[in-house]
Amino acid sequence: MTKKPKIGIFGLTSCAGDQLAILNCEDELLTIADAFDILDWEMAKTNNDKVTELDIAFVEGVVAQTRDLEALQAIRKRSKLLVAIGTCAVWGGVAAMKNQIPREILKKEVYGEEINVVDSVEALPVRSFVKTDILLPGCPIEKEQFLQIAASLLHGDLPELLNFSVCSECKMRENACLVVEKGEICCGALTVSGCNARCPSHNIPCGGCHGPIEEVHYDANYTMFAQRGITKEEIQTKMSNFAAPAWMGQKLLSEIK
Amino acid sequence: MKILKLPKANFQKFLLSLKNYGEVHIPKKKSEESYVFAPMEDPSEVALEYLRTIIPPKKYFFKPKESIFHYGDGNHFNEHIEDIDKKIVLFGLHPCDIHGLKILDIVFGTGYIDKYYFARRRNVLIIGLSCMPDERCFCRSMGTDATEDGFDLFLSELKNSYLVTVGSSQGDDITNDLKDLLGEITKKDTNEYLKIRNERKKRFKLQLDISDLPYILELQRESEVWDDLGKKCLCCGSCSMVCPTCSCFNVYDNLSLDTKKGERIRQWDSCLFKDYAVVAGGHNFRANRADRVRNRYYHKQHGFVTQFGKPSCTGCGRCIQYCPTQIHVVEVFNKIRGEE
Repeated sequence: MTKKPKIGIFGLTSCAGDQLAILNCEDELLTIADAFDILDWEMAKTNNDKVTELDIAFVEGVVAQTRDLEALQAIRKRSKLLVAIGTCAVWGGVAAMKNQIPREILKKEVYGEEINVVDSVEALPVRSFVKTDILLPGCPIEKEQFLQIAASLLHGDLPELLNFSVCSECKMRENACLVVEKGEICCGALTVSGCNARCPSHNIPCGGCHGPIEEVHYDANYTMFAQRGITKEEIQTKMSNFAAPAWMGQKLLSEIK
Repeated sequence: MKILKLPKANFQKFLLSLKNYGEVHIPKKKSEESYVFAPMEDPSEVALEYLRTIIPPKKYFFKPKESIFHYGDGNHFNEHIEDIDKKIVLFGLHPCDIHGLKILDIVFGTGYIDKYYFARRRNVLIIGLSCMPDERCFCRSMGTDATEDGFDLFLSELKNSYLVTVGSSQGDDITNDLKDLLGEITKKDTNEYLKIRNERKKRFKLQLDISDLPYILELQRESEVWDDLGKKCLCCGSCSMVCPTCSCFNVYDNLSLDTKKGERIRQWDSCLFKDYAVVAGGHNFRANRADRVRNRYYHKQHGFVTQFGKPSCTGCGRCIQYCPTQIHVVEVFNKIRGEE
């Protein structure tokens, strides 16, 4: 791109951790500010331009309130490219963990009978509502992956994100397998890589925070855990922490037949 | 071929002396069931009982992820080979792993010569170590249970000593430098070696008949065994990562934010990954898991055999030990042979 791309960075319902991850690119932040024309970033600057058309919008968070959806549709409308950043935006994240329970019940449980003004709708990822051009999961996103996406876009390319599971990165770091050796519920085989197997490298089973790989083999995973005495419910509970909308609807072949 | 004797009393001194030839790497215990090759801090760390490390020695020559050159800065590119001059002494390779390197020499040395691999190959001394098989070892079936070359020194364990076989001029130099630690072998040592050798032969429990396997595989392309395997395989790539001869890699660029510079990365890849056989236009030649698993098996025992005259499997047992869904390579081939 010859001209500086005009960008905006936005947060829907979220912990703002992905925007924080961008701000944490301390060594690169000045280069980013120089390479992009950052028009709209509430979290990081004042005097934000809310109307100019954007080349790229980075959107964090989940649609969990009606005003999230309005904001998201407005962002999509004014942006050529939309990059969903973080597991909330890509898969629903933590906010979607209890989607199977109706909102009315959840609202009463959290806020009591008296309060009825809370704007809360079923939490769903950005891509359930608008077209997304690039998906960068992570809870939070990995700094290196964000910078690679930024560099590719500046170069006029779409980034190539690796599409294999945590297991391979885990093996490359030569970790003893927590499933094979300890029979733990490690979501590595289901979860997309990018974190360099951070948790298993500290002897903590993968919690699936990056969300599923493109082609999850549910049956083989269930069998793998069942061989170690772990039930389907235990696996599903663990897998639903970060990407419940993807996991909860999954049925095994044996259940479909 | 020269064979000397290293009394066990001198073993630690021997290991320490290897520091004169490079950074010494040894097998170390990583967890209850796993070992890794790692730098030696103290000779007492050496896990002489180990049978297989998680990642085979290939990691010293073909790194999981490495930058192969930098480009930019006025249309130039700098070839960057990390640690290219680093001298390493890799101690404790069992015969199967030495064969693994000999197979990689073929892969990286045929047609296009991979200079990154061979630059490191020249700088790493290999010291072999004998072993007793467990229930996952089938190197004997692969013809990789012993080796006459591919090492600088090879240590065969006896009760109170090691027989030290010299396999290269560098190995010879080491034995000359360390002659105070080494002695002559006796008739008794020879008899002891033969006894242990015969005992080892009997210990192999796992066997795989590969005599006409490529032909059977050719006939069994459409066998339901592959479909069943596709249902069991996670396509997680663990077996490829831990395989001493799997050597596929992906190449991609890491651009700098000013878009004027970048580096080219190569990283281990696996034919089990969904994107592996995707080509321009989006077609995937092996979109199904079963096709991908079959491909891996065919590469080891069919494609490599017909091209190079031997399988690219060393029978090390790593894929058996580390498969999360307990896929057993020997059982798969036995099914294909109709010998369940």
